Amino acid sequence: MDEEDIEKAVMTYLKKKGFKQTELAFQEEQQRQHPKTALNSTNSHVDPEIACQILSFSSELENNPAQYHEGYGKLRSWAYSSLDLYKHELLRVLYPVFVHCFMDLIAKGHIQEARTLFNSFREDHEMMHARDLQKLEGVLSPSHLEEMEFAHSLRQSKFNIKICQYSYDLLLQYLHKTQSVVMLGLINEHINFQVSPGQPTSISDDAEVVTFMGSGQDATNLINQKEIHWGLLEDSLEERLEKAGALVPDSAKVDGEAREGEVEENKKRPYEGGKQGASLKKSKKDKVATATGKASRVETSTVSVAPRVKPELTLPSIPAEVEHSILEDLRNRVQLSSAALPSISFYTFINTHNGLNCASISQDGSLVAGGFSDSSLKVWDMAKLGQQTGYATSQIVEDSYPSDSLLGANSGRKSYTLFQGHSGPVYSATFSPFGDYILSSSSDSTIRLWSTNLNTNLVCYKGHNYPVWDVQFSPVGHYFASSSHDRTARIWSMDRMQPLRIMAGHLSDVDCLQWHVNCNYIATGSSDKTVRLWDVQSGECVRIFIGHRSMILSLAMSPDGRYMASGDEDGTVMMWELASGRCISPLVGHTSCVWTLAFSCEGSLLASGSADCTVKLWDVTASTKLLKTEDNKTGSINRLRSLKTLPTKSTPVYSLQFSRRNLLFAAGVLSKNT
Amino acid sequence: MSTVPQESIEVISQSLGINNLAPEVLPGLASDVEFHVREIMQEAIKCMRHSKRTTLTSEDVDSALGLRNVEPIHGFASGDPLRFKKAAGHNNLYYIRDKDVEFKDVIDAPLPKAPLDTTLVAHWLAIEGVQPAIPENATLEVQSDNRKAEYREDGVSVDVKLPVKHVLSRELQLYFEKITELTVSRSSSILFKEALVSLATDSGLHPLVPYFAYFIADEVSRNLNNSYQLIGLMRLVWSLLQNPHIHIEPYLHQLMPSVMTCLVAKKLGNKFSDNHWELRNFTADLVALICKRYGHVYHNLQPRVTRTLVHTFLDPTKALPQHFGAIQGLAALGPSVVRLLVLPNLEPYLRLLEPEMLLEKQKNGMSRLEAWHVYGALIRAVGLCMYNRLKKLPTLLPPLRAMSRSNPKVITKIPSKRKATVDNMMQQPPLKKLATNGPMGSLTANSVPVDMSGTSGGYAANIQVADSSFPSISKTFSNENVRGISARRDGVASQGYKSSAVLQQAWKEEFDTGNLLPLLYEYFGESMLNFVPTPELSLLL
Repeated sequence: MDEEDIEKAVMTYLKKKGFKQTELAFQEEQQRQHPKTALNSTNSHVDPEIACQILSFSSELENNPAQYHEGYGKLRSWAYSSLDLYKHELLRVLYPVFVHCFMDLIAKGHIQEARTLFNSFREDHEMMHARDLQKLEGVLSPSHLEEMEFAHSLRQSKFNIKICQYSYDLLLQYLHKTQSVVMLGLINEHINFQVSPGQPTSISDDAEVVTFMGSGQDATNLINQKEIHWGLLEDSLEERLEKAGALVPDSAKVDGEAREGEVEENKKRPYEGGKQGASLKKSKKDKVATATGKASRVETSTVSVAPRVKPELTLPSIPAEVEHSILEDLRNRVQLSSAALPSISFYTFINTHNGLNCASISQDGSLVAGGFSDSSLKVWDMAKLGQQTGYATSQIVEDSYPSDSLLGANSGRKSYTLFQGHSGPVYSATFSPFGDYILSSSSDSTIRLWSTNLNTNLVCYKGHNYPVWDVQFSPVGHYFASSSHDRTARIWSMDRMQPLRIMAGHLSDVDCLQWHVNCNYIATGSSDKTVRLWDVQSGECVRIFIGHRSMILSLAMSPDGRYMASGDEDGTVMMWELASGRCISPLVGHTSCVWTLAFSCEGSLLASGSADCTVKLWDVTASTKLLKTEDNKTGSINRLRSLKTLPTKSTPVYSLQFSRRNLLFAAGVLSKNT
Repeated sequence: MSTVPQESIEVISQSLGINNLAPEVLPGLASDVEFHVREIMQEAIKCMRHSKRTTLTSEDVDSALGLRNVEPIHGFASGDPLRFKKAAGHNNLYYIRDKDVEFKDVIDAPLPKAPLDTTLVAHWLAIEGVQPAIPENATLEVQSDNRKAEYREDGVSVDVKLPVKHVLSRELQLYFEKITELTVSRSSSILFKEALVSLATDSGLHPLVPYFAYFIADEVSRNLNNSYQLIGLMRLVWSLLQNPHIHIEPYLHQLMPSVMTCLVAKKLGNKFSDNHWELRNFTADLVALICKRYGHVYHNLQPRVTRTLVHTFLDPTKALPQHFGAIQGLAALGPSVVRLLVLPNLEPYLRLLEPEMLLEKQKNGMSRLEAWHVYGALIRAVGLCMYNRLKKLPTLLPPLRAMSRSNPKVITKIPSKRKATVDNMMQQPPLKKLATNGPMGSLTANSVPVDMSGTSGGYAANIQVADSSFPSISKTFSNENVRGISARRDGVASQGYKSSAVLQQAWKEEFDTGNLLPLLYEYFGESMLNFVPTPELSLLL
């Protein structure tokens, strides 16, 4: 190693960094030393290793943009040619390095080089990160980096990569050997390795291995360690029914109306509930009973029944006649399972002229609301409309339309009630649990409350600053939650003009939300590809679910409160366990946006409706059972069993709703050009 | 480096009135423009998703601009997606067609129809997990495909329930009533056409097929003297056959008698003015379609149909319209049917038909008209048959020779025939090369006639001239032509001696066809020449 080279390098380094004093001192020293070294130049013993390092480091400082391209290219070919066993782990490193190479080049002003780098290697990451790449593609100057949230957050935080010890060593060895300081620097700065001992994990597209966190992984871990009580509410109607049902075998006259089928059903349920300690995992019916049952039981499986929780909100009281009808519904509920699929009544909107933005179906399926881009909200009373079409076949399954409904009351030309008041496209509508109110949210950043009895607007809630994408009534009514482009979700009560809570934390639009069945939590899905769970009482984020690869469009909560399903833009549906915050299984099958998800009332089935014009039914029980048996095998993906695909006739499915009797209602728009 | 070209920036700035934009500003602006456009499109996609659409519209872009507090771009409001047109001469340049609209036209125009109001209809997508086969649902076939795919993808077998038989739903009953009513009362209306389209395309109509079959049989027997009605019914059958979601095979035996009736019945329609010929034509096509589609399912379908038709054709006691129907039916069944069944009987038949066609023999104008119709149908049938043969074997030599010899009328029509002959000569060599395994021998054999005609007075050259300007000089030329033909006859004779056994084999088929043309020519005169394939004729030109 030529000493002079090193000296020169050190000089330039000092000059560059502006260490004037040091430079001077160095020069002085050099002057003094020079004759000495000239004398005994043979004596000079510079460690070649160090010299190398210094030299290569100095070459980096030349700010050579080609370094990035070359370094990344080398790293890539090394990773691709590594042993199959470790390959997939090493490949994970590439994406963060790639993204940061690109951004570094941009930040240093080498736009042209950045482009070349981007275009030559983007295909590698197209599959996993297509959307991010699309965003990054537009970044063309250092100022854009500052402007763009995504790039900003990328640069400020780290990637987490799970990697096994050996792969990690391999990588380090490679980096040292090639002296690609740029790469080393990047990896050091932006990647956080979680080194695990032992064998590399099996190849899987487990999304969790490479995660990107806005607030760092520690924060997420901390958040996800918080305790949540996902149990059902105390003293719910279902529970009351359980108790009442137990009495039925003794005296069939409890309700005064003893239809044989119902009695049988009611007999069966408590019976099974009674012998649960013995055979717990037998069927999902048991599970429902387990979740609803109160008695403490010895559980063989790891998942324990959550105790009933007290509501954190003061809940509104239910009027007696409504309560009665709900109980009636619950008694008449059809038990669904993989063998007994539901009947689906499909409501098709026609002649919408591309104007329908959302559809919502009331709990009993009798009312259907549509929000239009012309700011109107239209509500159809299916009890009136259904006479011509629905009744001929309605004997086949149990009919949820009130049978004493207004025959021949189809007055007027219009079949719907028109609600006008918004000044922008209506993006979401929701019915109160008993169908007497509707809430609608609009791009004019307001939420309006309408009464279906009075056919009039009651309240206009202002609070959001940007379009309100979604609004949902709580399962008990009175409270509702909204989510908006302003990146917040808010909790409201019907009697207050101002929001009760504001949930802030998402990094992008909050696109959809859903209440937990016990009303103590809400889940929000966002364009930042995460789902968060918030405590309604404290307003804190209690869970972050990471794994989706695109914007989240729909959410659903299982009726036992344990699981949550979320659907995204690509057609992936993910099933999460709330307690652990883990993804149980991705549901692959849809080819386009999943607009809506719904759990059947006892939680055995999940229905999903998509833009690919299908309704799919998934078996929830099978997948959760699988989870129990192979609980410890991490990385094994048990795909949820798809039971049935029901294609519609070129009608994207906008909304799904299970009635209390487990009849599935679906709504969509007939679109000719799909 | 930016996808927005700097020229665009320049053009835009000029259109804004900034003429002195420094060139070094351009790249900066271009990249900035690209960045912001991307940003806005990203927001627009968000808006699109929230409108639950998968097509981006101008509205989405407007609302995205709204989100950024930017003035939206006006003038593109339309609920439908924009249709871009490709600019001529540019590869990647698209524009939206903006038509100039006269104010006057807009004001004078009648009010457009109000768009239909949004409505909501309900149907059962599934009943206990099984999709009922109703028109509102997608086809069952598609579904079963999906199901099969699912087996593979998750490896778990899914128990498939067979579609359950249902009582005819109210909707289907209504549909049936509407269709039958239309057929009976308003078979010429536009609505009926729509109904036919619906019949041909809608899924879920299968339960109605037996009813339709019964309806058609019933109506045909009742309406034999109303040809409009009958044609409506036949169209109904046609539409049902077209529908890919209907399995009509089990009902064919019910339909066929009615269809055959419409083809060969003695009297269809009561008035003389009724166009029963059209009905018969249409039905003939229908019969052919049925035979083609279901011939392999019902092995005796086509024989039975053919037998009925031939019996009608050969029975001199049957009325001429019946003969017409039979001929049309046979013709529609294909050229081979005509060749095997019509051609052998052609001569005696024509002998019978001829007196009917002549003014002096048949005084009844109606009958004469009918006879001519039959004659026309015959020409068409055998002509098509011949055309088909000729298509396969483009050699015309022997027929033409025979024809020119047998028919003196030919002289007037020489040029067209000449075309064929010359064409023939030119085509033979390549054909032979392909057809025989002794190409050399055949080549010499074939070159003989050409040479011969060439030697007989520089005639080959003349042909070219004559063909290019045939109407004017066709007369002058006839003499030479005769000579040429005779010369060629010799050529053929010599060819006969020279050609090998292989060659003869190849020729046999051709003679078969070849004999056809002169024969037909004899019967029908030059009208037959229209059926000589045009590409062959035009080749020479």
